[in-house]
Amino acid sequence: MTDALIHLTDLRKVFGGRPAVESLDLDVPRGEIFGLLGHNGAGKSTTIGMMLGQVWPTSGSIRVCGHDVTSNRQKALEKVGAIFESPVFYDYLSGWRNLDILSAYSGATTKARIAEVVEWVGLTGRIDSKVRTYSHGMRARLALAQALLPKPELLILDEPSDGLDPEGIHEMRETILRLHRELGLTIMLSSHLLNEVEQLCTRIAIMQKGHKVFEGRVSEVKAARGRVMLKTADFDAATALLQINGLITAASEGRFIVLAPGRSTAEVIRLLVASDVAVEGVWQHEQTLEDFYLNLLKTPPPVPGK
Amino acid sequence: MFVRQLRNELWKLFGKKRTYIGFGAFLLAQVAMLMAFKFTRWQSDFERMLGGNGYVPTEFISALTVAVVMLIPQIILLMPLYATLVGGDFVAKESEDGTLRMILCRPISRVRLLWVKWIAGIIFAGVLVAALGGTALGFARIAFPWGGLFVMVPGQAFSAMPAGEGLQRFLFSHLFLAVNASTMVSIAFMFSCFNMKPAAATIVALSYMFINVVMESIPFFERYNDFFITHHFRCWLLVLENPVPWSRVFQSEVILVATNITAFIIGAMAFQVRDIKS
Repeated sequence: MTDALIHLTDLRKVFGGRPAVESLDLDVPRGEIFGLLGHNGAGKSTTIGMMLGQVWPTSGSIRVCGHDVTSNRQKALEKVGAIFESPVFYDYLSGWRNLDILSAYSGATTKARIAEVVEWVGLTGRIDSKVRTYSHGMRARLALAQALLPKPELLILDEPSDGLDPEGIHEMRETILRLHRELGLTIMLSSHLLNEVEQLCTRIAIMQKGHKVFEGRVSEVKAARGRVMLKTADFDAATALLQINGLITAASEGRFIVLAPGRSTAEVIRLLVASDVAVEGVWQHEQTLEDFYLNLLKTPPPVPGK
Repeated sequence: MFVRQLRNELWKLFGKKRTYIGFGAFLLAQVAMLMAFKFTRWQSDFERMLGGNGYVPTEFISALTVAVVMLIPQIILLMPLYATLVGGDFVAKESEDGTLRMILCRPISRVRLLWVKWIAGIIFAGVLVAALGGTALGFARIAFPWGGLFVMVPGQAFSAMPAGEGLQRFLFSHLFLAVNASTMVSIAFMFSCFNMKPAAATIVALSYMFINVVMESIPFFERYNDFFITHHFRCWLLVLENPVPWSRVFQSEVILVATNITAFIIGAMAFQVRDIKS
């Protein structure tokens, strides 16, 4: 993909003989909010570490903003901002001094730029206070400010809502949407919070035990309306009738049916009523990301060499 | 940009309280030693030793002499402790706290980052030595008159000189003490670049120096003294000798400077190949 800000090819990382990431191919197109999902230990943070040149890959290639991270890290990260879970700062220094310190590693950053970013994140009144006096939410905003200092095109967020209270999570979610909307940033987000990812992301990848087990658009996941909930007096008889007539392809859990391609719930109701089967209810079951995620992770990841 | 990065590194270093533990400990030790020298038999024994060697005690029981007397045990016991405490923090503490990950999101090379930190460490070593010498001389001057410098360290230095020359030598010896301190910082810095806790880096560096001292003091190893780093740390005392054995001083300085550079290179190599994880 030519316009991918992150382009991973056959990426692999082994820690002391234990594979953490295996054969990972991933593209994060420009302009997307991309969610990286997975359980603890799935390899999300290792993948992000490799994208930022903090963890060396065992094999494979990582290109960020068009540059190879392994061989040209400085160039690759020039327009990248990142935030990690539970942001850490030099607590004994002021917020301003922290930003000054971190911006000095990115090249020339003016005081005006620091002030602009501080205002954007809403820390103007407290920026000269020591960071140890900041609340968790203020630290999160300071973390956002440091990530925005180099005028990034790409923002990498590793569990950005970790440790925040519900209000903080809401604020972070709104900020991410604002960054995407107002600054046009491409955002790569790793999170455990499926609800958050569902609300924020346009595209997702799901990792399990170091393997990517899904990549696609969130809208595709949600639009997978195959399942319909059917409530009748005799579910087995009703599904047998529907299958004979080619309206469904499967039935499960004593309440779900899967419509055959091109068939609708209206046809299901019409056939059942015409066949004198009492229908108590029919609902289109919209698949949530959580349903999709949990079903997907029930399947074991591919075994290497098989 | 290097100057700005260095300035910020110094902000980080001198902004935290633990950096000042060494300065505080030195002050306390100096006050304690000064009181002990003045109010115990230490001073009268010293006067007797001066007289026994044919010197007039009133000429040489001076601020300069007492300052050197105060410095010797502090340099042997306290300076390694506080230099390695700070040196061991440089990378390992940032790694432990998580700020290293934050820094390494930035487009700065690892070697450049270490270079800035190491230079900050060298500056710290210089400041520590300057503070140590300055306060030792200042405190000694409060309690003792200005006068000649008398140095006697059995087997290492024996000299007496007038006040003017004594002050010059005293100041000059601090250059060499600064190299000692920076070597201690560099050794701890090197260990701190490996994947270990800051306390472990400090302890390993101190252990390395302790092993050097122990081996150096074993008669069997006397012929191998040049291989022990602590042997070369004593060259600051040679500068107080009359005449100064310049070839030995030069040899020791070359070895210490080379040790500094080697420690940086080994640390940088270890840091370069490390995976930085949360």
